[in-house]
Amino acid sequence: MKNSIRVERAIKNITQADLAEQVGVSRQTINTIESNRYVPSTVLALKISRIFGKPLEEIFILEEGD
Amino acid sequence: MKTRFLFPYWFRYLGLACFLVHIPIMLFFKKYHNMDNTDTGLFTGSHIFFIFTTLMVTIGLFLFAFSKEKIEDEQIMQLRRDSLQWAVYFNYVVLIATLIFTEHMEIGHIMMLNMWTLLLFFIFRFQWAIIRNNWSAKKEG
Repeated sequence: MKNSIRVERAIKNITQADLAEQVGVSRQTINTIESNRYVPSTVLALKISRIFGKPLEEIFILEEGD
Repeated sequence: MKTRFLFPYWFRYLGLACFLVHIPIMLFFKKYHNMDNTDTGLFTGSHIFFIFTTLMVTIGLFLFAFSKEKIEDEQIMQLRRDSLQWAVYFNYVVLIATLIFTEHMEIGHIMMLNMWTLLLFFIFRFQWAIIRNNWSAKKEG
């Protein structure tokens, strides 16, 4: 699974730390999600998409083989 | 995040203190008491001392291993589970290897060490995983 969190952050002009604080996780967690090393839970994914005001599928995209 | 079965954050310092305090006690005892094997039996002086120091180390490691992190979230929880699984696997490999390559009389020592190795492997693997995450987060700023 890939995601467009980095792009969305750039559009909204917020840092990893800002996003982390708003969804209540550590900055390291946002970092590992962005670099595709950690797949967030559904709850966290929904929280992130709510921050960006977009549907889940626009931020988290399934890849072939998932 | 709600977590179950974990001690508060400051318990890690309590654990560390338990572990560190046992070292000078151990050194002092070794220096001023001759540890001969005549003093055998349950609840004699050296047996109680043995229980006391062993429990200090065990409880210390246990508290350090299972206290919360500063920011407890789902990714830390996953790291913790992965590390625990890794530690159990690794511990059993070491345990089996030592069983094969040691003689019968030393089984007691292996059991004794095994009380700590699992916790130690877990602590090292978990802390290493956290440090690695912090590095990569810092690099990308």
